[in-house]
Amino acid sequence: MLFNFVRRRALPGTLMVVAMLSGVPAWAGIEEGADSFLRSLAGKAVQSLTQAETPRNERIKRFRVMFRENFAVRSIGKFVLGRNWRRASDAEKKEYLVLFEDLMVVTYVDRFQRYAGEALMVVKARAESDNIATVFTEIERPGGAKPIRVDWRVGTNGTIYKILDVVVEGTSMSNTLRSDFGSIVRREGNQVSGLLEALRQKTAALKAEAAQ
Amino acid sequence: MNRERAPWLGSRLILLLVVGVVVSGCATPPASGDREAMAEYEEVNDPFEPANRGVFTINRAMDRVVLKPAATAYRDHLPNFIQGRVHDILANLRAPVIFLNDLLQGEIHRAMQTLTRFMVNSTIGLAGFMDMATALDMDDHDEDFGQTLAVWGVPEGPFVMLPLFGPSNPRDTVGMVVDFLTDPLSIWATNTDRVWIPVSRAGVQAVDNRAATLDLLDDVEKSSLDFYAAIRSLYRQRRADAISNGRGGANRPAPGIGEIR
Repeated sequence: MLFNFVRRRALPGTLMVVAMLSGVPAWAGIEEGADSFLRSLAGKAVQSLTQAETPRNERIKRFRVMFRENFAVRSIGKFVLGRNWRRASDAEKKEYLVLFEDLMVVTYVDRFQRYAGEALMVVKARAESDNIATVFTEIERPGGAKPIRVDWRVGTNGTIYKILDVVVEGTSMSNTLRSDFGSIVRREGNQVSGLLEALRQKTAALKAEAAQ
Repeated sequence: MNRERAPWLGSRLILLLVVGVVVSGCATPPASGDREAMAEYEEVNDPFEPANRGVFTINRAMDRVVLKPAATAYRDHLPNFIQGRVHDILANLRAPVIFLNDLLQGEIHRAMQTLTRFMVNSTIGLAGFMDMATALDMDDHDEDFGQTLAVWGVPEGPFVMLPLFGPSNPRDTVGMVVDFLTDPLSIWATNTDRVWIPVSRAGVQAVDNRAATLDLLDDVEKSSLDFYAAIRSLYRQRRADAISNGRGGANRPAPGIGEIR
């Protein structure tokens, strides 16, 4: 627990103090990196996912590839499962991550389609530690309605950037999923297997509906 | 049994019924030994969950039968121009309450914004018919007494699913009541026996709000495993965002970095 404290609190704080004292803008790099990562991802996504002629299963395939490449699927899945991650067997963890990815892809490919026409404006990026930054963007809406705030929490290992969370008008995708899944696990007597069954049914239903 | 005893018995029966509903509507907290479970139970903060879920089911049924069809017809058949005007008039009518709560929260700049918008829209904007203020680049925002209470430090309290009004909590419910009591149009209307005015306004507001969230709520319903839990979480997050005027969020838990592969 002390190690965690050091890792989570004392270390980033110390790094920040060191950076400030040495005059090196230690976090400017990650802010620029996160900013350009998101801009280029947005460009790629619009290009590859929003042409009207692309059939839906092709879009799903492309979306899955982009999702795996650009989202920290394992980190997100682990967070969403919360304390139940520790309780899950290795086989359960494996199946959970597969089902989790399925659910994300099928859910977000359609959501993306809905907003794809609108322009994504990057407002600014703000580092919160030496390897995590938030990029604040807005989605313009037609007819002069207020733009939608979307914040992207991005993590990096120095070279590769991955999205950790998407926060739309203050609602965090990971936190909402965590509440949702947590409720199911509690309902199923704190068994992860119960959640897996619910996930299996939901993804099957969504895929069946999409196939129509 | 003689007549004098019957009413007394009747009210006792009602009391038993209410207690029965309340007790059966309460969640069972986990065994006190399981600290993690207790912590989770307290974090979820929904001791009335069974009752809340019951109300949620009823609300959804009413939505399916009445509100959603009305909102869908409104969105699909009423010309966009008219929808825009209805929205602008409703928004302008809310300005006095927003102004009051801006002041109560000590947000002078935002209060001036609200006042200016109200002046512009009520005059050049023809009593709110046109949102000229936005055309002139004046930002709009929403405030209510529930948010004011939060800014004053009142905690939200347990989750409550209100009949008709949907997700809420004790603080926000009090807020809604105060909003009604401080709304000039509602005050005037109830004092002059024109109760149909606030009632119709509430109805139109409900349709306008519902029309704006049709796709979003459909989406959440479709993709969530537990729609009730998702709504509960979304409501709380949206309120936290509104209370902090979009500035908060740094303290929210989020996935950590783990290893980037």
